[in-house]
Amino acid sequence: MDIYAMQAIHGLVYGMLLFLVSSGLTLVFGMMGVLNLAHAAFYMLGAYFAYTITTHLGNFWLSLVLAPLIVGILGVGIEHFTLRKVHKSGHVAELLLTFGLFYVIGEVVRIIWGSNPLRVPVPALLAGQIPLLGKTYPIYRIFILGFSFLILIGMALLILRSRIGIIIRAAVSDADMVDVLGTNVPRVFMGVFGGGAALAALAGVIAAPFLSTYPGMGLDILLDCFVVIVVGGFGSLFGAFATSLMLGQLQSFGILWIPRLALVFQFLLMAVVLIVRPTGLFGEKQ
Amino acid sequence: MNPLRALKIAGGGTASLFLLLLPFLLPLIDIHLATEILIFALFAVSFNLLLGYCGLLPFGHAACFGVGAYATALIFKHITGMPFLLTIMISALAGFAGALIIGFFCVRLSGGYFALISLAFQMFFYAVALKWRAVTSGDDGMSISRPDLYLPGLGSVSLMNIETLYYVTLAIVALAIVACYLFLKTPLGNAGISMRENVNRASFLGFNVFLTRLAIFCFSGFLAGISGALFVVHQEFVATSVMDVHMSFTVMLMATIGGTAHFLGPVLGAVFFIVFQDWISSLTKHWWLFMGIVFVLVVLYAEGGLIGLFKWEKISAWFASEKES
Repeated sequence: MDIYAMQAIHGLVYGMLLFLVSSGLTLVFGMMGVLNLAHAAFYMLGAYFAYTITTHLGNFWLSLVLAPLIVGILGVGIEHFTLRKVHKSGHVAELLLTFGLFYVIGEVVRIIWGSNPLRVPVPALLAGQIPLLGKTYPIYRIFILGFSFLILIGMALLILRSRIGIIIRAAVSDADMVDVLGTNVPRVFMGVFGGGAALAALAGVIAAPFLSTYPGMGLDILLDCFVVIVVGGFGSLFGAFATSLMLGQLQSFGILWIPRLALVFQFLLMAVVLIVRPTGLFGEKQ
Repeated sequence: MNPLRALKIAGGGTASLFLLLLPFLLPLIDIHLATEILIFALFAVSFNLLLGYCGLLPFGHAACFGVGAYATALIFKHITGMPFLLTIMISALAGFAGALIIGFFCVRLSGGYFALISLAFQMFFYAVALKWRAVTSGDDGMSISRPDLYLPGLGSVSLMNIETLYYVTLAIVALAIVACYLFLKTPLGNAGISMRENVNRASFLGFNVFLTRLAIFCFSGFLAGISGALFVVHQEFVATSVMDVHMSFTVMLMATIGGTAHFLGPVLGAVFFIVFQDWISSLTKHWWLFMGIVFVLVVLYAEGGLIGLFKWEKISAWFASEKES
């Protein structure tokens, strides 16, 4: 029995992490209609910045603040100087652009940090194990769980209760109308894009000691994120949340029971959902 | 005769002559490169049939390419004495069948939705190829040896000779690309183009959007299957890399860099991609960076791709003004 509980917690940890990454992707998609492939590169950058800051400044907590900040500014710059220019050419051009940026950032990461996996040490405060269900469990994973949960609550409050949140939600449902009503929508887009990038970097930082840092990490999480936003429904935050948790469990138990087919499972899930509901579980009609 | 048309015919004639004489002009290693370009040119054309002419971005187009590639490898491995051309044909049909499965689910959608679902199926196919070791050998891949090509009346020729392989590839690819060009002139092809422009209007006019797009998607898969089969014949090896994401991304880069608005854009893109890759990867191992930068610059500043840099309208206008004076 214990092993199932353990696997469930493993799945939950990964699911929460996945949600942190996919939430930014979903928000940007819902608002701007842009499927931002560079998002996974932001996540990867977050993890690599965490490595550099932790090894050079010796402080993991600093990277938790600095990395999202730097990547967030980078995201704002990318939106302002490139994405905005191709907006008029349509969504396919935007998708191609972010795809190109994904490759360029990925190669730059390889040039700066090399191709070998890098280990980011778990901060001293969170090293070690705690007893859990008669066994021991790494504290750091509990931290990931708690921290992601805090971010989730913070995001929910921001989007549901604040004035910025109202504007964001309004822009998701009808950007033109919000623009007409006097809000500077391009600036909101830029902010959300930067915010999404910062969120991805944050996820990258906390993932770094947990999943290790390697050049393929962007592509790996990107494919999982795709499954999340397709199954959850394009642009639906709640859908992304539910599906992230579901996918975490699916991978966790998939590896436990049928390791050979674990990789196939998530794409099978995606196919089944699409057959039953082409717009995803919680998506509105496109 | 319209001077622009004359120019095009002259250009086409020169290009054909160059392609036919190429083995006499280039060293052996470059014939390999040229064969690869031909194969990817067909793949890129099949990709652009969807992106450029239907407005659908098939992010996971390597699925059909890979199905064709595996079909060829499995036939060569298990059925001795299977005629070469029949093998290519069966592989093309395998690509067609793969496209039928994928297309059934994704042609109902468009834009980013279509792109992602196409990618999801490709990942699914990839996962199957990776894990179904009994059939595909997974990561290890399979080596095959090129069979002889039997031509009625001419006897059989060995494809181990790279010049022969080049001509055979050239013949098949040229045939397939011409077929694709003619396909676009059919009412079915035109219906697909009309749906790119305005899908609602096309459907109000009575076209069945789902069936039209599915048919074009399947034809594209058919062509991708041929290119996949030729790829395996050329490489004498198949592995999961024929249907991984990088293969999908490669063909997308080729088509976009070359230009999706022109029928021959993807062909130019394939030439550029492989020649540029060959050159720059000898200088740096980070060649993907430069390819990525070229790609981003093309998307940002040259919407029509490299072929769009030739201003056909201006050339045409210049000819027209010459005629008048």
